[in-house]
Amino acid sequence: MKEKKLIQYFILIYWTFFGALTVIDKIIPDVYPYWVGADFYTLFIKFFASLGLTDPIFATIALAGISTLEIVAFVCYLFSLFNLYKGKDKISEQWFYRGVSFSVLLFSLFSIGDQVFGDRFNLLEHGIFWIILVVSWVVYKYNSLIEERLIKFSFTKDIKIGVLVGTLLTIITSYSILDFSKSTSSNKTLPVRGEEVVQGVYKFDFPFLGDKFVWENTIKAFEDKHPELKITYVYTGPDELNSKKKTHMLLYIFTEQNDLKN
Amino acid sequence: MENKNLVINNRIIGKDLVRYFILLYWILFWLLNVIDKIIGGAHFLFVGKDRFAQVERFFDSLGLGNPIIANVALIITAGLEIFALVFFSGALYHFIKKNIDSARSWFFIGIVLTLTTFTYFSLGDQVFGDHFELLEHGLFWFITLLSWIIFIRIDKIQIFDNFSIGKKQFFVSAVFTIVITATTTFAIFWHNHSSFIERTQAVDAIKITENKYKIKFPFLAGSKAFENSIAKFKEDNPSLSINYIYTAPTPLRLAESDGLIIYIQTDSIK
Repeated sequence: MKEKKLIQYFILIYWTFFGALTVIDKIIPDVYPYWVGADFYTLFIKFFASLGLTDPIFATIALAGISTLEIVAFVCYLFSLFNLYKGKDKISEQWFYRGVSFSVLLFSLFSIGDQVFGDRFNLLEHGIFWIILVVSWVVYKYNSLIEERLIKFSFTKDIKIGVLVGTLLTIITSYSILDFSKSTSSNKTLPVRGEEVVQGVYKFDFPFLGDKFVWENTIKAFEDKHPELKITYVYTGPDELNSKKKTHMLLYIFTEQNDLKN
Repeated sequence: MENKNLVINNRIIGKDLVRYFILLYWILFWLLNVIDKIIGGAHFLFVGKDRFAQVERFFDSLGLGNPIIANVALIITAGLEIFALVFFSGALYHFIKKNIDSARSWFFIGIVLTLTTFTYFSLGDQVFGDHFELLEHGLFWFITLLSWIIFIRIDKIQIFDNFSIGKKQFFVSAVFTIVITATTTFAIFWHNHSSFIERTQAVDAIKITENKYKIKFPFLAGSKAFENSIAKFKEDNPSLSINYIYTAPTPLRLAESDGLIIYIQTDSIK
């Protein structure tokens, strides 16, 4: 296989799956087993409500219109990939061009919407995907015009050494991942130990795996351990107090002496 | 044909430098990612990203709570990253040895593995509904593609081949650089000298109503500053008990000039 062909496959596979999953995300609008996705329906409803258009028909029509464009783009990418596989390079290129045109139109519409709705993060996201798409097309098209180079890959001595080193490193890393998983998976349920940082105030540094069950177990364990104390207030430490990426969540429990039990 | 384009000679030193930077970037990128997988959790001198917790939570959100699934996904990821690292390192080795054709072949396999990795990540991001990560991985996919194009096409780009600087310009730019560096360094050290204490120092509470107090933290304040401020408040107000803390949300703060602000609500101790 030629290098340029493999690069074209990668470009088409990326955009075909991108389109496919975007469409699936519209078909499955909520959270289900094996699929979470993004809740575009809620997002659109909120966007239109912010404009004063609270009737859900506006958001629904807009979402259906956007989805239609996404489906058309996905079909174009799929046909482009199919034709590339069949060796019909010219037809593949035409389908890809159609797909890129629809996607560029889509991202342009999204960007206009983002400005109207005042969502600058989405504007950045859509602007970046817009340029990635345009450059993907340039690479797809002009990468194929200049050269014809076959992929040279044979099991020479240096390749064998590379594969051996890679395999050894993969085994070491796999062992480390499994070991870390084994030693930390209990963090998913085990209560966190508190530290009294101020008289009557306890701090809990939650591990990254800690979730709502850990929180519940932590409170229960604290109450069991300190029957003499009454929890008066629970405060979640805001992100500003965290040591950047090292801290997952800080929890503070404020207590008083439990008069009833004393 | 391409070998001719990639011939090393003194006139294209600038272009080789770009190729070295591309290779070094990807080697370091994957090396640190692999180290991050080997060293789980945050340690002294290495924090990294807790990928196990992240991937485990992602699969848990799909209803796949068994950690073995997250482990398998992480091992596949690590395998792809390790082989990308090996092939980029091989490309650098061959490039140093002037085996240009082999360098290109090794680099190409590294690029293929990197594109595979970011495509695989992007699919996951859509299934897990994480659009911030999708943007991140989409950008890296794009950077990978451009790295490949620049690596093989740099010879087509006209780059100046004279790196020398005239005496006068060298002198003026050196003086300018030294003066600005000295000023900046002094400002940084002075700020460290005067402000580092804010990391832990207690902040005074300001009474705003009968039973409500405001504490405005500096940007540097960490959890110790919060704890010390609460301790100081309790010490200054022994007759009061804290019954609620309200964290001022971002919209209530003045753009980037306000740090963390909390409001304390109190009761009198009977």
